[in-house]
Amino acid sequence: MNTRWQIWLAMVLLAAVIGAALYFPALRHQVNKAKELTQKTAEQARRELLPPAPVASGDPRVKAKMFWGTREQDGKLSPVTVELPLSSDPALRAKQVLNTLLAGPVDPESRTLPPDAALLALYLLPDGTAVADFSEAIGTSIPSGIQSEQLAVDSIARTLEANIPQVQRLKILIHGQEADTLAGHLDLTQTFPVNTKILSMVPPTTEPPPAMNPANPAEKP
Amino acid sequence: MVWPAPSQTPPGAPQTNSPGTLNVVVLDPAHGGTDLGARGTEGIRESEVVLQFAAQVRKALEAQGFQVVQTREGNENPSFDDRSARANAQRGAVFISLHVASTGLAGTARVYTMPDLPSANDGSGLIIWDRAQAPFTTLSHKLGNMVQAELARRFKGSPAEAQVAPVRQLRTTAAPAIAVEISSVSVADRTTLDRMIPGVAEAIARAVTAFKPTYVVPLIAPAAPGVHR
Repeated sequence: MNTRWQIWLAMVLLAAVIGAALYFPALRHQVNKAKELTQKTAEQARRELLPPAPVASGDPRVKAKMFWGTREQDGKLSPVTVELPLSSDPALRAKQVLNTLLAGPVDPESRTLPPDAALLALYLLPDGTAVADFSEAIGTSIPSGIQSEQLAVDSIARTLEANIPQVQRLKILIHGQEADTLAGHLDLTQTFPVNTKILSMVPPTTEPPPAMNPANPAEKP
Repeated sequence: MVWPAPSQTPPGAPQTNSPGTLNVVVLDPAHGGTDLGARGTEGIRESEVVLQFAAQVRKALEAQGFQVVQTREGNENPSFDDRSARANAQRGAVFISLHVASTGLAGTARVYTMPDLPSANDGSGLIIWDRAQAPFTTLSHKLGNMVQAELARRFKGSPAEAQVAPVRQLRTTAAPAIAVEISSVSVADRTTLDRMIPGVAEAIARAVTAFKPTYVVPLIAPAAPGVHR
């Protein structure tokens, strides 16, 4: 092989290497994006399959307080009053307010919970413990960090506190199971007190509820 | 299982850690391995950044005479219990978990401590592993406030006092324990975080040094993981 061919071959190889270096990161980005899209679609599909928040035609419209984030104060919650048809049954009412909380505020920057998260079930135990079962997206789509996870739990607890006085404690399940953490930081193995200003953990006063069957959310523990 | 009684160091013997006082700082760079932690749009990964923070904090603490133990030094991901076990095996230690958030005002830092937990002593003299932090929450909050004050002095917009949050990693740690969270991986330029490293290291080292005289090691030891769950 003469020198000219060697130069040509080297140039072709160099072009191939440069092409691959440019193409592969773009390909990886596309694959990751497609994967993310598929995951979101699956989560949204699951959410669409869920029964809508139970609203009876006779439910009176009342003012409810929702606790979302604020743009002005980093890491703080602010109450927003909305008018909703709310049941007088505390468990149903809790579902209704949490579904409204999940639906989010007008300003998406003030969200505390991921838009693709869904409330799968909510049970109110006789001792005042509200067991809220969320879809996986509450853990997988939330921005990772102590501040964001605390804000999410705090928004749920304070919204329950403001609208359902019967709720004394909050237990969060993810897809029917007890999770170690929300998204790697905040401890979900215990219950969170409701009706207190500062969140702290208290041991469950009853046996922890059995894992619920997500296929049959109507099945009560 | 209790801590052994403090022993006297004979005159002339090599200097060892004094029992009953703060000697060791356990640094916990959060996440690692397949758990990347928070990820920024510019490719910043929490699991990598916290290792850099830990290296500088370690140097600053060693310069103050502390022995430093890390829960991880490379790209591993020990479990929460394994990390706590590293701390719980030390005597006279404090535990500092390092995080970088996805959110929060860029260039600020927050300190978190555990809320009060029910008593962790079941009468056997052992601390229940799952609530090992219980006897230390007051000391943790004191340390947290001291670190937060130093951070607030250096990073404008940071809170003046430590905040309370049920951080999983802290619950099983039988020592004064805090989590420091820096904001954030969402910065447009990585140098914003890099510029914070010396200030965070200095703030932690100064606060731990100031905390040392107030530290008294309780005479109880945590049970092994799995016991009293």
